[in-house]
Amino acid sequence: MMGSLGEAPASRGGAAGVETPLTPAASTSAAGNAIPRPMTRKILVVEDDAAAAAYLAKGLGEAGYAVEVAHDARDGLFLASEGTFDAMVVDRMLPGFDGLAMIGAARAAGIAAPALVLSALGTVDDRVGGLKAGADDYLTKPFSFAELVARIESLLRRADSRSAGPQAARLAVGDLEIDLLARTVTRAGRPIVLGAREFSLLEYLARNAGQVVTRTMMLEKIWNYHFDPGSNVVDVHIARLRRKIDEGFASPLLHTVRGAGYKLAVVG
Amino acid sequence: MRLSTTARMALAAIVLALVSGLVPVAFLWRATHDDAIEELRRDTVEQSDALAAVEHRAGVAALRVAIEQARTSDDGSLIAAIVDARGVRQAGAGPDRFSVPLAEPGFRIDRLAASGPWAEREAGFVSRRIGTGWLISGRELDDWETAQRTIERALLLSMLVSLALGVGGGLALTRYVTRRIDGVATTADAVAAGDLARRVVVAERHGDAFDRLGARVNAMLDRIERLMGELRIVTDSVAHDLRSPIARLRARAEAALAADDPTQRDAALAGLVTETDIVTRMLAVLLEISRSEVATRSGFADAAPAELLTALAELYEPLAEEDGAALTLAIDADVPAMPLHRELLSQALANLVDNALRHGGEGAPIVLRLAASGDEVRFQVEDRGPGIPADQQAEARRRFGRLDPARSKPGAGLGLALVEAVARLHGGRLDLANNAPGLIAAIVLPVRGA
Repeated sequence: MMGSLGEAPASRGGAAGVETPLTPAASTSAAGNAIPRPMTRKILVVEDDAAAAAYLAKGLGEAGYAVEVAHDARDGLFLASEGTFDAMVVDRMLPGFDGLAMIGAARAAGIAAPALVLSALGTVDDRVGGLKAGADDYLTKPFSFAELVARIESLLRRADSRSAGPQAARLAVGDLEIDLLARTVTRAGRPIVLGAREFSLLEYLARNAGQVVTRTMMLEKIWNYHFDPGSNVVDVHIARLRRKIDEGFASPLLHTVRGAGYKLAVVG
Repeated sequence: MRLSTTARMALAAIVLALVSGLVPVAFLWRATHDDAIEELRRDTVEQSDALAAVEHRAGVAALRVAIEQARTSDDGSLIAAIVDARGVRQAGAGPDRFSVPLAEPGFRIDRLAASGPWAEREAGFVSRRIGTGWLISGRELDDWETAQRTIERALLLSMLVSLALGVGGGLALTRYVTRRIDGVATTADAVAAGDLARRVVVAERHGDAFDRLGARVNAMLDRIERLMGELRIVTDSVAHDLRSPIARLRARAEAALAADDPTQRDAALAGLVTETDIVTRMLAVLLEISRSEVATRSGFADAAPAELLTALAELYEPLAEEDGAALTLAIDADVPAMPLHRELLSQALANLVDNALRHGGEGAPIVLRLAASGDEVRFQVEDRGPGIPADQQAEARRRFGRLDPARSKPGAGLGLALVEAVARLHGGRLDLANNAPGLIAAIVLPVRGA
């Protein structure tokens, strides 16, 4: 099964190896072309604070999602059990019962849609505890909207590749090719030597090709740190990676998205 | 009715004393009890009845004869006498004057005379009225019967003593326990009423369980008082130190409002977001500190110190290189995996590395070192910067404490406070030492068990 493109549908889709330019709004459709799916993703927002719920609904709507809002865990569970949502954004502290309990109940009811928990409880223990308790991702209030959208996109992408069957053995973005088994990288046929951490970083960016990946997402996924170091450690790692994969090539693949993070994509 | 705990304790003490007194007594009584005295009683009553029958049938003269006959066939312990109403012997054998009270039939054991040979031993006897006088008949107790009497009296006495001791001991115990517990209770009341400085009076040495309880309560009160004090300081400093970033926030917002040029407005708004992030991060770190000071060890898992430090060095190495500083990792000791809060310890060390990068001076080397000495592990960050003078170290550790009075360099001033809190959470401490020149900041943790 090694390296055969036919057996790696997610890699082709996930790699966004298409010639069309990608904008964040259009990127949802680029997540894969192996399985047909509706163009507009449905997001369930469970948030008791009316102002925050309206803000989330408006922002996510502008980002191209269809949004439904529930104001407490019971309504949220009721809506979620319809099974029509692609992802859930759940406030942790809800009247009645806790957001994590709601996610647990939804899981028990067979709802597999990934859930992102929003919470004002922001210590490391809260985050790690929330993730252990069944949240697929955890974001502390206050958050930047770019961060929220990037995380939702990543969750959707992960859920897609999971349902698309076996893991890809290769990822490709433009002329950049990543062999996940041999752990080698080539660009335009030229081998690129990467350190272990650089390889993980590139793999993560490639799995989310065409989408914004934020610094905290990288810290959490690549380094498994759930705190904010407060300095630009991640940027320096990205700068090193960028020198290796983009220097000497005509078109850059690794882009900085101002105020949000980074994106691996073919632009132009 | 429900008895109070102290009453139940007293009751239990009494019952225990009684049982412990009575059990040996009962065994002793069973072992020594004999029917000798019962036999004496039967014989004495029969003899008395027989003598009374003689007197009834044939008069006092016949009785005298019968007594004399009985005496001659006896070993000398027999008592059979006719006495007048005052107890003076008229005829028969026995003391000249009987000191026992004269009463109608009934077997008694007592000394018959107040003095003389008859006063040496007790006798079992029956007295009954005959005409104007009294007939007293019976026998002196032999050795065995005397011993039996002594034992029975001793048993009765020991019962009474153990009852008295039980009641007395129970009451004393109850009073003592109540008094000792009241010592703790009144302290608790005083603290609850607001006198946080009040402590239980505890014996300095040779403390008993109550002293240990008192010492524990005192330790708890110390911690509560310290936490309350810290809380007050934190509240004060948060209110004080959040003013400046919030003032900057406000200034940027006003600048954005006033800007006519869209680029200027965007720049001001971007600055607004940056300032908000700084405030958010300050609050996050502050929360982390507060949480870690009261945290249980729930976030702990076994981790290898060397791996933790290596991962951190790997994260920071490019950043140091960009600053022109060389970050080197020195694993001086092979420390086995130990329970650590990986995230918090990494964050604390990241803070130290950040400090070293910021204050270490351009291009100066930074060493991340893992060392072990005795039963301690040291996670050490060494730089070649100006260091921290000894008289300023306390200020550096304080929340929001910053050595740079103008606060010109960025940083919330929470760094070392977090490091210290994390070290304390692990049961360790933060060591600051002179690297001549520079600073050695070490998180020193105890190695538990083996």
